[in-house]
Amino acid sequence: MIPEATRYLKATVSLFSPNIFLNASKLSAHGAPSSLQTRRNLRVSHCLAAKVPPPKKPREKVEIPGLEMVTYGDRMHYVPGLAKPVYPPWEMSFKDPRYYRSPPAQEMALYKDKPCYIFNQRTSILEGVRQAAWLTKTQVSPGLLPHLISLAAKPENQLPDQDERVQNAIKHSRFWDTTEPRPRKERYSNTLLLNLLHLCASLQPTHPAVGRRILAENYSLAATWKRGEDLFQIRGRNGLLHCSMDPLPRICGEQEVLETSDWVLESFYPVSPTIDLQQVSVYKEEMNYTGESPPGFPEMELSWSSSNHLSPIGSGFRGEYPYPHAHTLYFLETSDPNCKLRPEQFRAKMIMFTFGNALARAHKLYGTQPQSLLECPITVQAVGTNGRIFQFLVFQLNTTDLSGDDGIKNQAWLDEDVELYDFAKVRPFIKRKEVKVPAGLAGYKPETFSKFLALYLHGAA
Amino acid sequence: MALSCLTRALRSLTLSQPTLLSSQAPVAHLKLGALVPSTVSQCRGFLITASLKQNRRNWKQMDKYTIRPIGMKKTGGRDHTGKIRTRGIGGGHKQRYRWVDFQRLRYEPNKEDQPFEEKVVEVRYDPCRSADIALIAGGNRKRWIIATEKMQAGDIIKTSGVIERMAVSANEGDAYPLGALPVGTLVNNLEIQPGRGSEYIRAAGTSGILLRKVNGTAIVQLPSKQQVQVLETCMVTVGRVSNIDHNKRIIGKAGRNRWLGIRPSSGLWKRKGGWAGRKIKPLPPMKSYINLPLISAN
Repeated sequence: MIPEATRYLKATVSLFSPNIFLNASKLSAHGAPSSLQTRRNLRVSHCLAAKVPPPKKPREKVEIPGLEMVTYGDRMHYVPGLAKPVYPPWEMSFKDPRYYRSPPAQEMALYKDKPCYIFNQRTSILEGVRQAAWLTKTQVSPGLLPHLISLAAKPENQLPDQDERVQNAIKHSRFWDTTEPRPRKERYSNTLLLNLLHLCASLQPTHPAVGRRILAENYSLAATWKRGEDLFQIRGRNGLLHCSMDPLPRICGEQEVLETSDWVLESFYPVSPTIDLQQVSVYKEEMNYTGESPPGFPEMELSWSSSNHLSPIGSGFRGEYPYPHAHTLYFLETSDPNCKLRPEQFRAKMIMFTFGNALARAHKLYGTQPQSLLECPITVQAVGTNGRIFQFLVFQLNTTDLSGDDGIKNQAWLDEDVELYDFAKVRPFIKRKEVKVPAGLAGYKPETFSKFLALYLHGAA
Repeated sequence: MALSCLTRALRSLTLSQPTLLSSQAPVAHLKLGALVPSTVSQCRGFLITASLKQNRRNWKQMDKYTIRPIGMKKTGGRDHTGKIRTRGIGGGHKQRYRWVDFQRLRYEPNKEDQPFEEKVVEVRYDPCRSADIALIAGGNRKRWIIATEKMQAGDIIKTSGVIERMAVSANEGDAYPLGALPVGTLVNNLEIQPGRGSEYIRAAGTSGILLRKVNGTAIVQLPSKQQVQVLETCMVTVGRVSNIDHNKRIIGKAGRNRWLGIRPSSGLWKRKGGWAGRKIKPLPPMKSYINLPLISAN
């Protein structure tokens, strides 16, 4: 035998020899040795912490088909030489939701061979706006259209004391809204958005159409479309949805819509356009709706995990909802540490969700069959913000025929990175005893709010 | 098995107490009652330091590839028994492990056996190695690879497993089998068996040289001037590894070494033996990693 092992055995035998009562102090109250601590018996003169042998791999079990293994199951006790009996896994006779294990993907009822690529609210796609444009067959133009911006320049469309009230709103969200020294980002961006919406809504007496709208929070969206041979879906919950009873008017004339068919979509070879999208094999086809989840339904979190199945959620705004047309979507930056979207990816998310809303509306109005030109294009707007910087998007859905790369494209006008103000410092920024940026609101830009107001009043003024 | 050992030991423990404290034996007997068997069972010893929580290597057992950095547990040079096996390792800045895919020729699930291209998304510093790593995206997946010297974000790099009759004029960063490259190219990330994944020439600034190609095998000179003979289907990337000035950096102070996780060596003066000093030896013989078919005696 190995000398180490003999020493070890001797030592441990001596542990259990009459010396043991002197180790009583090491024993815990109920007489068992305290676990996970090396027991050092100082009465022994040799080393007790011997080398642990490496873990042995268990013997390989050979399965010979047709040969019945004689097990000790019948004898109800272990017999050396007989095989270990293998019993079928125990299953509960009744259904208990606490201990339910979902079947593997292949056995689910909605399993399909063809995978579906899902874009959810936590997706951060690699190529950003270009990839979103390819997926939605969109021509993205920089800058908003001038006739929209001129909408806010008219004096009847402006608030009384507009600049002062907006600056007060910013100061409220950035400075006054908390008992802590400084409100956190998700809090102030949310308050700022709600304050600005409140300011815009104060124009209701002069613009009665504003009253025919409603805000929906945490609404769920689902839209399905085919692009090439792949099936795509948008699913998710978003920030705010401003829906109205009347649809938005079309922005772009017929001529320009037909001209988009000459525009070629950007390709980003070698990266495939489906990169970063969640691939699932278990999905419900033809899901097209937008709306709130049914009451009492648990918050559906679409996770990045390897689970490649997606359970369908309940119906959206049911049948005769009085505000069926999506007017504007408002996007805020999520506080989820796992999905931090860079500005490019944030804009892509805006495009995708705007498109999803427009597509769900189109499917409802015109049916799910792809149509190359809608006689009445659907317009949806979107505003995204991080509390200081705004992104404005106007999307016009011209076609639902998205399978090929040619033909009429949808259009989007994207105004990127518009600042509302430069700094809103709680404490002044001092460098080398010089005040570089004073405390309080600095660098307010009134044009941004006029764009915000223009998008708000679009369709009402 | 460990549990049965423990229970046997505990049983013998509880049994031994009544035999020792003989004055209280009848009381103990009464207490333990009918559970006391007649004989004291001999118990084989066992180590009570079972797997300590600090010895866990769960972070290494992930099976699905991910580009997300993985939290690492530092070992401090300790092995599975808990004793120091390698001196001078410990402390240092916390690091997260970025799982580098060393098998460059890894096809996507449905696109086997076709040369493919990938785009470099970003090149960044990796705390776990001296070279820089690059995030490349191709098809539907993204992965980390060891970046070569002039790799920039936005480059397109090619990976091909095909050996043609004419040698390919390879660009830096592309990966080809050794048989497809012209003799004399600088290579890195060499794998010695096809499909194994690269294990050689991965450090910052290193490069091997393809010396000759001999019927079905190729001979590469490693940075240590050792020559190695491998099959010509082994994949290799072209160019030098990134971060070429790594060996010219100056640590500057003891603290910087501690940030890197290098503990000070023992300050005790020891007489240097035969191992020290400059040695001038002939190159070791060429190492061959080809499993030639055995010539049977019959």
